[in-house]
Amino acid sequence: MNMTTRLTSRVALLLVVLVLLGAPVWGQAEFPVATKTLKNGMKVLVQTDHSIPNVALYIFYRIGSRNEGPGTTGLSHFFEHMMFNGAKKYGPGDLDKVMEANGGANNAYTTKDVTVYQDWFPRSALPLIYDIEADRIQNLSFDPAKIKSEREVVASERRLRTDNDNGGLLDEQLWATAYIAHPYQWPVVGWMSDIEHWTMEQLKHHFEMGYSPNNATMVVAGDVSPEEIFALCEKYIEPIPTHAPPSPVVTVEPEQLGERRVVVHKPSQLPLVLVAYHVPQTNSPDYYALNVLRTILFQGESSRMYQRLVDKDQIALDVSSSVEPAFDPTIVEVVAQPKQGVDSQKCEKAMYEEFENAKNATVSDTELEKAKNIRLAEFYREMRTINGRANTIGTYEVFFGDYKKLFDAANNYSAVTKADVQRVAKTYFGANNRTVSTLIPDNAEEKGKP
Amino acid sequence: MSYWTGVRRMGRSTKTSRRRGGYELKPTPKPKRQIRQSQAAQERILRVGMTMLLLTLAIFSSSAAGQTLHMPPHEKYVLKNGLTVLLLEKHGVPLINVYALVKTGAAADPAGEEGLASVTAGLLRKGTKARSAQQFAADLDYIGGTFEAEAGADFSSVSEEFLTKDAERGLGLLSDALLHPTFPQDEVDKLLAQALDGVRGAKDDPQQVLGAYYDGYLYGTHPYGRPAGGDEVSLQRIKRDAVMKFYETNYVPANVLLAVAGEFNGAEMRKKLEDVFGAWAARSVKNEAIPPTAPVKSKRLLLVDKPDATQTYFALGNVGIARNDPDRVAIRVVNTIFGGRFTSELNEALRVESGYTYGVSSFFDARKAPGPFGIFSFTKNETTAPAIDLALQVLQKLHKQGVTEEQLKSAKSYIKGQFPPNIETSRQLAQIIASYEFYGLSDDEINQLEARVDAVTPEIAKRVIDKHFPAENLVFVLIGKASEIGPAVEKYAEKRDARAISEPGFWPPPEKK
Repeated sequence: MNMTTRLTSRVALLLVVLVLLGAPVWGQAEFPVATKTLKNGMKVLVQTDHSIPNVALYIFYRIGSRNEGPGTTGLSHFFEHMMFNGAKKYGPGDLDKVMEANGGANNAYTTKDVTVYQDWFPRSALPLIYDIEADRIQNLSFDPAKIKSEREVVASERRLRTDNDNGGLLDEQLWATAYIAHPYQWPVVGWMSDIEHWTMEQLKHHFEMGYSPNNATMVVAGDVSPEEIFALCEKYIEPIPTHAPPSPVVTVEPEQLGERRVVVHKPSQLPLVLVAYHVPQTNSPDYYALNVLRTILFQGESSRMYQRLVDKDQIALDVSSSVEPAFDPTIVEVVAQPKQGVDSQKCEKAMYEEFENAKNATVSDTELEKAKNIRLAEFYREMRTINGRANTIGTYEVFFGDYKKLFDAANNYSAVTKADVQRVAKTYFGANNRTVSTLIPDNAEEKGKP
Repeated sequence: MSYWTGVRRMGRSTKTSRRRGGYELKPTPKPKRQIRQSQAAQERILRVGMTMLLLTLAIFSSSAAGQTLHMPPHEKYVLKNGLTVLLLEKHGVPLINVYALVKTGAAADPAGEEGLASVTAGLLRKGTKARSAQQFAADLDYIGGTFEAEAGADFSSVSEEFLTKDAERGLGLLSDALLHPTFPQDEVDKLLAQALDGVRGAKDDPQQVLGAYYDGYLYGTHPYGRPAGGDEVSLQRIKRDAVMKFYETNYVPANVLLAVAGEFNGAEMRKKLEDVFGAWAARSVKNEAIPPTAPVKSKRLLLVDKPDATQTYFALGNVGIARNDPDRVAIRVVNTIFGGRFTSELNEALRVESGYTYGVSSFFDARKAPGPFGIFSFTKNETTAPAIDLALQVLQKLHKQGVTEEQLKSAKSYIKGQFPPNIETSRQLAQIIASYEFYGLSDDEINQLEARVDAVTPEIAKRVIDKHFPAENLVFVLIGKASEIGPAVEKYAEKRDARAISEPGFWPPPEKK
């Protein structure tokens, strides 16, 4: 437990910054995070910051769509919704009503790997939030009427984000094509037919599997002391019994041996193209070099891809890349938004050429330095709010295995060399390792028909 | 400006593995789409446009502990050339945010050249006396800086952020863009072409364009009815000369508020600003007042056909309030109960109890002159009429029954408890002090907020509902599959209009020249 300073974290962060800016000893950068593992196995991390009288509380459960199977796709996400629909002490509708009446708000999100619950509240609501969280972790109720209406809500969410959203639709097709064995292949929200057919038994089984305290990590940032949080945890959380966590995901995606393509025909004003490349999981040593490469290629209007596709060739409106935290080997996604009437293969060709350039010659010193500066500035942007800090501390703890890796990040970026950047470009961005998902506007298609 | 932020914040989400931000179109300040729930969401909420609303309607103090939140100390002074400077020192994170508010926005676009203010803002960085567009991008990215320029209805803005150690370079880039843009013809052509495709692309996602259709149908030819980002016709009419003229007329020191917030030494920053912006040549400026707006006195309905839609996106409401409306805090309290949070009356009915939708919200977009009020949601084709019926019932109930003491108590607590994270970062504070100055509001918006919220009684709420929440006269805008939903929605208005989403423009249809 680290509670060596009474400085606010902001002040501590300032000290960190001075260290960062003054010298190459980036790795020294730290602000105090107190930690404790409860007897039931849940790890709790506390970051004190009194700048505003508020608290951000995150609970990360290590269960997501990778723990599902055919017929139950989307269950983790549906379950996330059900966690707001009533337990023993706080019945259907009570959780939100009580929380908001006490100045709090909440949300949650589900990914392929985790389900994360978020509470934002004034510190006066502290004990109440713990009472609510403890209640739903151990005593969730499964009201058939709520299941019925919530199923409709999730179907509406799917129509919003996937069925009526070209990017969402292509993203779903991309993962389903890039993976043939591993459970990353199905969508987090679930296939519509699965959404319509989950059963009460499956829901209950999912709860038992995923919501054991030793399968969760809690992060609290804001106007709190570690002592009071640990005391609340001992009272409300520690008595919750442990049970077996989800069985490990043993399936390993076999190496991809050639390009895969999927095409979507749909009425649309603009085409769209997404490209995926398999890369290692988040805690891989290549994580930092890959991010530096992506920064040089995709971030900002001076990036190579923007300069090439948007500025010089003028064939795209935008080009970007993303990779999300993942326990298992995942994909880097590249999105190009071609201009109207532009064949998206033209965008592909330009992108592939830029990847080849990054393989054939090392990037410049200026580019490398720029990428590191961008990463550093982004670090501060993430860390300047209690919400950003809670999310980041939790992400590092869960996906890198230790929140302290957060403080090594600057050092790890600093250590990336031009040769590293070239090596990851060669290793991961080849034609045989890519999957392409393209939207062809219906109208364009009709013109092409005889 | 996004009407949807409320919905997004309320909704629980599936976080898919892509960044939706990747599809955003840089030059066009169309409604932004949300990425995820974390910091990004918090930050984006405070974008131009939304800023005003949330601040108007949410200003608070720190609740139960009894410790009132205050606006951090800041100072205001005017340079000889007429530039107003607002300085707010905030230590702890080594970032500086500069927010330049130009007191002319899309409402000043000439009819037929909608998008001019937006395009002008977008071009500021695309070539200056000292730098090509490419050099500007390289210099900005090298310091890890961010630079966003856009135009809302009431004003244009440039927001730049950089590390404290890069203050010199950061301010140099900003002054270069504000004082010395050259608008190279090839960059004008590029940006206009991108903006044009940006509008086309936005129409592939009803959520992104519902606001533009709604504003147009509600306000007609009033400047608030114009699409801030332009449309497929207007963007083809904009010429470089018009951009130059708009810049020269409006980007004048006396027409700009420059807010600087973050970690810096006040005396040093004052000197730097004098050095950098003191040389900006003074010119006179005349801003046209926004013409008055008035609620629509009838019912009407616009159905925008998107034949492949499986879900209908709808907005209904009328003209709302101005940013300085004396009832603004009471309206915020009532709207929190009605459609401004997860347990709102609307969300309880349309999401929690019926499952008709993933999200519904109601929203006052408070502007210089009364801006739009609307209820926004979406539902599958089959439940379009039932969902709208239910929304109307909830509105009627509000008028009939008002709000209870208990509801007020909950909403007050919610507003006060959720406010502090809105003034957490220098980025937020820079925008807040600039927009208060622009709208003629004082720090009491924050310093008195708790007292003002607490003062709202059921009687005041009743008066505010009667006065500001529309009852009978409503404007409806629906985007969906007309052949499936058309007959069921005829009942809402005698006066009905129809367009295909593939037709250029929003509403009214652009005149052909």
